[in-house]
Parts: sequence; C-alpha cells; structure tokens
Amino acid sequence: MADGGEAPSSAKTPADFLKSIKGKPVVVKLNSGVDYRGILACLDGYMNIAMEQTEEYVNGQLKNKYGDCFIRGNNVLYISTVRHH
Amino acid sequence: MAEEENTVREPLDLIRLSLDEKVYVKLKGERELRGKLHAYDQHLNMILGDVEETVTSVEIDEETFEEIIKASEGDSSRMVPYLFVRGDGVILVSPPLRS
Amino acid sequence: MLFYSYFKTLVGKEVTVELKNDLAITGTLHSVDQYLNIKLNNIRVVNEQKYPHMLSVRACFVRGSVVRYVQLPPGSVDVELLHDATRREARGG
Repeated sequence: MADGGEAPSSAKTPADFLKSIKGKPVVVKLNSGVDYRGILACLDGYMNIAMEQTEEYVNGQLKNKYGDCFIRGNNVLYISTVRHH
Repeated sequence: MAEEENTVREPLDLIRLSLDEKVYVKLKGERELRGKLHAYDQHLNMILGDVEETVTSVEIDEETFEEIIKASEGDSSRMVPYLFVRGDGVILVSPPLRS
Repeated sequence: MLFYSYFKTLVGKEVTVELKNDLAITGTLHSVDQYLNIKLNNIRVVNEQKYPHMLSVRACFVRGSVVRYVQLPPGSVDVELLHDATRREARGG
C-alpha cells in the first residue's frame, strides 16, 4: 500500500483497538501480575487508565473493589476485553 | 462550563476531581497510603495530608509454604502530617466514592 | 514545575527524605533542581543503628529518582496555594 493511503477497515492499529474498547468491560494486567477487572472509562498516551467498578485480583483471588480507579500507565502489561464482567 | 469541569475525558481528570478529597494510593513495595490530596502533577507526584501509610510484608512459612501476611498493625502503619510522594512509585489511585 | 517551585519555597527548612532503599535522612533543605534532585545540610539518619556508616556525613546530594517520600514541615504547607497551583498546572497540560 502506498504511503499516506487509508488503511483498509480490517487493519486495526493498537490505537484503534484502544479507542474501540472505551466503555467496555476489560481486564488490565500489571507487570506485578495483579489483574484489574472493570469498565474502561478512558486512557491516554502513557497508558494511564481510568476504570469504573473495578475489582482487584491477586493470584486469581478478589482482594479489593474500587468505585473509580486510576492506574499509572507504566505498570500496565496488557489491556484485554472480556465477555463477562 | 461547570459541566465541562466535572467530566472525565482523560485519566488524570479522575485525579483532578479528587483534589482536596481523601484518596487511596497503592505504591510499589506493598505500600498503601490514605490521605487528603492537596497537589499533584502529570507524573503523579503528589502532596498528601494526614497520611496513613501501611506497609504489608508477606512472609512464606518455610515448613508449609503458607503465606503469612502481616499488615496494618503496629510497626507497619504510621501517620504523617504532610507527605510528598514521588510519582514513579505509584501503581493506582482511587478517589472517594462519588455520586 | 509545580513541585520544583514548591520545594524552592522550602529551602532553609528541615525535611525528612525517605529513599527507595528505606534510608531516611533528616536535614536542612539547601537546594533543589528541576529533576527534584535535593541537597541537604546538617543531616542525620533517622535509623542510625541500622545505617552507622552515615554517621560522619554532614551534607548530601540525593538524586531525585531515588526518593520515595519527603516528609514536609506542617507550617510550610499552604493548602489553598497548592490547590490553585495544581488546578493551573492541570489546565496548562
């Protein structure tokens, strides 16, 4: 494909993915291995994340719940969509 | 415009709306802080007031390999009147519950 | 620049700097730079039994990146001023 051409709609960039999952239930895994499950409110270019109705899982066990929470982007390993929240 | 001030468009807005409110901060090294948020910047450097710091240490029992969690009581919890917190240690910030 | 500006107002005051290696040093804030590197004078280590090798040190330079906390003198925290400065900084990006 020529430079500057529009990407076909099937080719999604990581940024497109991140845009498309706002408001959806997600799992955020941190480098420490801890998982956060909740609704993705928004994120920024540093991968800082704001989540709602967040549950914190350590070794698969529910450890904490937060109404709102901010996660500093440098700790994020991945963000994944989930079917069920 | 008041509407504009209260919306969360980017993650840091969540912190902005928590100014002068009690927040929970989870830090590296199994440290937790609870205190009133007086200042912050884009790195998540913060100044907290009336801060309670809790350090949790997990020890593994050598016989049973069970995790013994020592938390919050005695030596591992303390109060500090005003604390500057460097942002690079921050994992998570949770504002108080909002309506 | 918010915290750089704020720490400049603390020059001459006594603060306790807690490092990421758990060493805590109390001293008079001599100076600070944009990286929040800190120079302290008349220092004493909070837990001297654990860190006796610091006994003869009177002044030190602390690289900003190794700081975990700084305990601030209560009389030097103007809460209203910090709120205003934080809101201004948040708007400016």
